[in-house]
Amino acid sequence: MNILNVALKEIKSATRERRTLLFMLAFPIVLMLILGTALSNVFSGSAIVGEMQLLYKITANEPQLTQSWQSFSQEIERQGIKIIPAEAGMNGQDLVKDGQYSAYVELESDGMKFYGSSKQSIESNVLQGMLTAFADRYNLAASAIKSAPSEAKAVMESIQSNDEFVNETSLDPDKTPGAMDYYAISMTTMIALYSALSGSFLFRSERTRQTAIRLMAAPISKGELFAGKVIGCTIINLLCVSIIILVSKFAFHANWGDHMGLVFLILTAEVLLAVSLGLGVSYLVQGEKSRSVIMIFTQIASFVGGAYFPVGDSDSIMGIVMNLSPLRWANEAIMNLIYSDDVLGAWPTIGINVAIAAAFLLISALIMRKREAL
Amino acid sequence: MNVLEIRNLTKKFGDFIAVDNMSLNIREGEIFGFLGSNGAGKSTTINMISSLLRSTKGDIEVLGRNIATNGKFAKMNIGIVPQDISIYENMTSYENVSFFAGLYGLRGNLLKERTEEALDFVGLGDKAKSFPKNFSGGMKRRLNIACAIAHRPKLIIMDEPTVGIDPQSRNYILNSVRKLNEMGCTIIYTSHYMEEVEEICTRIAIVDHGKIIADGTKEQLKAIITDTKNIWIEIKATDSPSIDSLKQIQGVITAQLEDNTIKINSKGEINNLNRVIQQLIKDGIEIRSVEEQAPNLETVFLTLTGRNLRD
Repeated sequence: MNILNVALKEIKSATRERRTLLFMLAFPIVLMLILGTALSNVFSGSAIVGEMQLLYKITANEPQLTQSWQSFSQEIERQGIKIIPAEAGMNGQDLVKDGQYSAYVELESDGMKFYGSSKQSIESNVLQGMLTAFADRYNLAASAIKSAPSEAKAVMESIQSNDEFVNETSLDPDKTPGAMDYYAISMTTMIALYSALSGSFLFRSERTRQTAIRLMAAPISKGELFAGKVIGCTIINLLCVSIIILVSKFAFHANWGDHMGLVFLILTAEVLLAVSLGLGVSYLVQGEKSRSVIMIFTQIASFVGGAYFPVGDSDSIMGIVMNLSPLRWANEAIMNLIYSDDVLGAWPTIGINVAIAAAFLLISALIMRKREAL
Repeated sequence: MNVLEIRNLTKKFGDFIAVDNMSLNIREGEIFGFLGSNGAGKSTTINMISSLLRSTKGDIEVLGRNIATNGKFAKMNIGIVPQDISIYENMTSYENVSFFAGLYGLRGNLLKERTEEALDFVGLGDKAKSFPKNFSGGMKRRLNIACAIAHRPKLIIMDEPTVGIDPQSRNYILNSVRKLNEMGCTIIYTSHYMEEVEEICTRIAIVDHGKIIADGTKEQLKAIITDTKNIWIEIKATDSPSIDSLKQIQGVITAQLEDNTIKINSKGEINNLNRVIQQLIKDGIEIRSVEEQAPNLETVFLTLTGRNLRD
């Protein structure tokens, strides 16, 4: 009963610390909004393709080629591509260089020469792909005429009628996070890690307020006090995390996937780890120094863990440091859960967090028991 | 019946002996004054009685039970009013008292009743929903007391409960101490204000260097120093007398200057007032008044310890 009493007092007390609450709620939400909006292009999985204009010149005097080209032209014009013949005296390469055309192609008797625009790289790549397909099929037909003239007609008809010059294949394009989706997760895991700050204050605040005297004089065991405080602190921080999730989900339409229960479990384990870490450091490092240690740790762990920008894999020392951040563990587990349905991958993260939390709680409990005061 | 029994209590911090083989009994219904200058060992003793510190040696019994083996029983029967105000500023008066009383096992209607009773007792019944951060120092001190009495302890330890408050709140607290005593509580009271101790305590112990050097009623303590007398000489504020010269005069035990008054404690059988005045005139000191003081607790303390209580 005393555990509940202490936990409720912690929750009540924390909800009245307006400045702390404002920091825990407003800071991630505002940051999520700013970064999610400002960096939306960086995370975008689609690109806008502009008008494609292909300038061409036929210098080869081959009726088969001209006929095939016209057939090809008609087909791709139906897909919205403008095919423009180069007039006499026009320098196709210069015009592409100036950005007036997406690409320029010269059809010569010994082959096809293609000049793509670096200014319109997507458009020129699409055209290059189409022209490669055309060249492959024309070469096939030319070979057929040479080796099996009886089959040549059928091959030519096939080339002229087949309009599939580009096959569109998509690798589930919707399953990648947008900027808001990413920052909703990273800001939530970041603020979960900031629970370490309130953890470091759990007993230090009782000492500075002198209330530790009363608590020690009351008929409540150190164990009850310890459990009540850790539970209360974890609940209040989870409440903040939940509010951030709800705001990001309903106000910013961030994607939290279909495994909300498991996502919440990962975050609970992270909050527990952070609270225990803060508490442990407050016992291992005396006075105000513990606050500085926690501040430095959370800032670095947030930075390298991908709170402000996505981090990739690396074999360097930086990569090792990044992998030591609890924020990264939580981010990766949640991302994999949402975008790859990797349910099993969440459990090692939860396990590691709980194991580290247990270690810090044990250290704190042992030091607390050894001390005469709190 | 003894509410508190202390036997051969010792507390060491490294090589420093804060409490030195102290023995003491406090009987039911007493208001026991604990006097000592800073570092004398009274707070350490109080902290050991309240289970805030472990003793190095010796026994403490509360209501006949040793606190080493009956810690919870002792705690249930003790209420502590710490020297520093120990309340939560972001919780209302009611929530503060209710939380601490809840730790003593009070629940439901009984908890509500006792919380309201404690707040009414210290005159904060109408401030139940107010936050202490808006309170005056005196009101905070009163709330500090309310948090210690809601569970109706048999023994209340008050460690300088009137520090830094206005006279009105001070009187309120002193009256509260008397009322609590009338209601059956035994009280241990420490203060730097000698007149408070003299006014309310039924028995007083003087602690010095971790030991009780005198113990008794105020009359018994004053009787200890009947062989000495106290002479207070008021001088011109700007004058600087040679206290060392005064101490050389035959019969003078202690001499010190406080504000513009020279306080001399001297052997009663030697008439040395004439020599004291002559010395001051010789030093060019302008005397405003001379008064022989009846012995009080302050002079008792000064005589026994050689120091002022506030040293």
